[in-house]
Amino acid sequence: MRDMVRWFLLFILSFMLIGGKWAFAADVGAMLKAMTDPAGAPFYPITMQVLQVLTWMLHILFVYTSIGGLFFTIYGFTKKEERWQRLAKATLELSKVSVSLAIVLGVAPLLFYQVIYDPLWYTSANLSAWWYILFIVFLLVGYYLIWGAYFTKNKPSMSMLMSILGVLFLLLVGFIIHVVNYQALYPEKWVEWYTDGGRTMNVSGWNIYAFNVFRYLSFLVFPSIAVTGVFLMLYNWYFRSREDMDKDYLDWAGKVGARSAVYAGIGWLVSHILYILTIPADWGAKGSIFTWLSVLGLVLLAGVVFSSQKNPVKMAIPSLLAGSVALLLIAIFREYLRIASTARFGYSIYDYKLNLEFLSPLLFLGTLLTGLVLYAYAWWMAYQAGKTPKGKVYEASETEHHLGELSVFIVVLWAVVFIGVGLIIVVRNYT
Amino acid sequence: MDVLGFYPMWYVPVVGSATIIGIIASLHVLASHTSVGASILLAYLATKAYRENQPQIYDYIKKYLLTLLVFSYVSGSITGPGIWFSATVANPRGISALIHNFVWVWAAEWVWFVAEVTLVYILFYTLGRIDQKSWLRLAWTFAIGSWATMYIIVGILSFMLSPGHEKWFTTGSILDAFYNKNYFPHLLSRTAYMFAIAGVIGLGIAALMKKDLPEKIYKDIVKTLSYWGIGGIVFGLMFFAWYVSTLPERSLVMLEGVVPLYLKVSIMLTILIVLTYFFLTAIRPQVARFWISLPIFILIFFLGVFPEEKIRETIRKPYVAGEFVWVNQIVSRDVPAKGIESEVPVIDQKGLLTVNAFVPEGLKKIDSQNEIMAGKAIAILQCSGCHNVTGSTGLRPFGQKFAGMTDPNVVYGFLAGYLRDNPPPYMPKFVGTDEELRALSAYIAHMISNGGSVSAKIEVPNTSAEAKKEVQP
Repeated sequence: MRDMVRWFLLFILSFMLIGGKWAFAADVGAMLKAMTDPAGAPFYPITMQVLQVLTWMLHILFVYTSIGGLFFTIYGFTKKEERWQRLAKATLELSKVSVSLAIVLGVAPLLFYQVIYDPLWYTSANLSAWWYILFIVFLLVGYYLIWGAYFTKNKPSMSMLMSILGVLFLLLVGFIIHVVNYQALYPEKWVEWYTDGGRTMNVSGWNIYAFNVFRYLSFLVFPSIAVTGVFLMLYNWYFRSREDMDKDYLDWAGKVGARSAVYAGIGWLVSHILYILTIPADWGAKGSIFTWLSVLGLVLLAGVVFSSQKNPVKMAIPSLLAGSVALLLIAIFREYLRIASTARFGYSIYDYKLNLEFLSPLLFLGTLLTGLVLYAYAWWMAYQAGKTPKGKVYEASETEHHLGELSVFIVVLWAVVFIGVGLIIVVRNYT
Repeated sequence: MDVLGFYPMWYVPVVGSATIIGIIASLHVLASHTSVGASILLAYLATKAYRENQPQIYDYIKKYLLTLLVFSYVSGSITGPGIWFSATVANPRGISALIHNFVWVWAAEWVWFVAEVTLVYILFYTLGRIDQKSWLRLAWTFAIGSWATMYIIVGILSFMLSPGHEKWFTTGSILDAFYNKNYFPHLLSRTAYMFAIAGVIGLGIAALMKKDLPEKIYKDIVKTLSYWGIGGIVFGLMFFAWYVSTLPERSLVMLEGVVPLYLKVSIMLTILIVLTYFFLTAIRPQVARFWISLPIFILIFFLGVFPEEKIRETIRKPYVAGEFVWVNQIVSRDVPAKGIESEVPVIDQKGLLTVNAFVPEGLKKIDSQNEIMAGKAIAILQCSGCHNVTGSTGLRPFGQKFAGMTDPNVVYGFLAGYLRDNPPPYMPKFVGTDEELRALSAYIAHMISNGGSVSAKIEVPNTSAEAKKEVQP
């Protein structure tokens, strides 16, 4: 009899647990669904998802070289040695250009993310609204400090001070975006956070509700050093063919990069695993193939840079490839976390309401093809100019001139089509 | 749970969240118009340098490019996403409506944005390091690419004001939405003004380099910039007049009756000052000075661009996107083509507090204990897009609008007659239950009774049964 009562109570308890969770999940699920934009997605969500992953990867690459570049600059300026001073200036230049690229490349993943994960993005940003605005302010201040460091690069102590302040601001910016992305993964807590357990509405926008130090270290701090390390190996590889460059310095810089990449790569791997251990069990993330692929990617990168120690030049391109694979797998893992987090509440981006439309994707495709021709020409010319010794002018070959003409032609063609279509529509609709 | 898709609300006392967008947007307009205008001016000057074999012009171009990098491309490229960021927190459902309609168009703009930013660096670093013909090609693709970012964003800005044509609501076609009837005048007017803005900066740089440039080259550059500037302003005014003629009826009513006169006067005054400066420098290039250009540039920001942004925001009201999302983020009309339904009937029936997941349970059922706080929550959710709802200063403050109204019944009578049954063209109608309108009235009367200013904090009374249920574990 006692056993029966015990089993009966256990049954009730488990029913309450499961039933309670179901009921709760249904609530959060309904909220997420209600938050999706009524206009629906103008194209298949999977396309947005793939583009988001790929463009985030490009964006984060330059985030890493922005922050990592400054780490090297600061360290370099603390050394008296001439080659360290020289390296500090080179990485400062890298950081300065990288911030611009990180900003411009960061627009795309955010765009695609907002179309399929609007409930996550808008809610999390609004929970910490002032911080979200301060992201812009801190980035602006940080970037001007980096320019300040660049203009004072011949006064190392001043330049170092500005670099230190600059990197602190960039890390703060990274902290804010980390918080916003991390809070987004916990929809079950949003209402509780915002209403302080039902007692108020936190309309001030000053609250920060969640932070995970391992995620911050593994997504931002360690990779910054590791990726910039690989960049230094490429720096060695790219400039060594230029006759006016000091080969010894370049070889040394490559070695510094390779060594830093190994140490930071190990830190990256460890913090990544520690982060994985903090993911709640009900996400099922620890047993997922995507989780382990991301770990494998980091092991691959650490392995390749470890074997590059003796000859960084030879291994520069393989390291770049290994780094790209690792970054892609991390980007996929990061996206998988969103799927795992929202799947708990029955939310799937693949169920997003569709309002299919083909003209604007066509516009994007046409613009992208135009852009690719232009990028190819411009970047190729920049690559050639960089290979040319100082004081000399690079004369384009006939093929390069043809590519130049093609890029001007295709850009003009794009503008003509864009304006032409507009004229036709305006005449059709308004006359 | 029966909820609509509202997000957590952010409330900025006194100035309001819209002002935050306004400041960031104005900075961006100034920086981006400078850079787009300069890209075309510089490509033209580079062509002149190449054709007339005047390599010293390249020294000027290099300096201008550096200025662009430091000013326009730092502040412009950060404040561009900054407008987006601020709109995300100030008006998430408005920006979401735009993104979900125009994501691919924005993605196309991004292609040009990447081209623009990479090219400005490439142009700067390769000047004098690759042959002139190749550099010139890069300069022109940079110019057209920069301008292309404007082609694209102007269509989205036009749509924010109005889809232009009723057709869009039934076709949902991106072309009908994008190529509004005010698209071309809007694009041309911005294009013209950007030459004037870039010209002002250009004159300052030329003045700084005066002693390093041969006199003839210096005069040539200053005159070129002045002519482009004069042309920019004259054509800008013409295109602006055309733009006004294409505005929807409600915007014209607001432009005439609601937009304060001082905003219009300050823009006209700025235009006059800039035009005078260009005339003087065209006649006597020596007049160009850095210490004249810089204050004029700052003047353009405060007295030209910021008022222009304010006017644009005002004449868009009561909507924030496409004449179907109100400034308080409520979807106010059906868009059959997209399957969008107005939320007004549901909110009128169930209550605004009930359908918002981020309102605490203790405020959803209104009683005598929580009425004031429920009213404050409604004021923040429904009115704070345009009003300071907790004070007597700043953005159209409640403390002034309701001055002397300390009786809840009087406030109720006013709100019911004015805002629920017969709203003015620039304001959304009040939506929600009658009980909610009474709570809002009680809050306003309470606030006025307390001197017209109260804290923005919302406290759910402990006596509320629902609140207790939420708080207790």
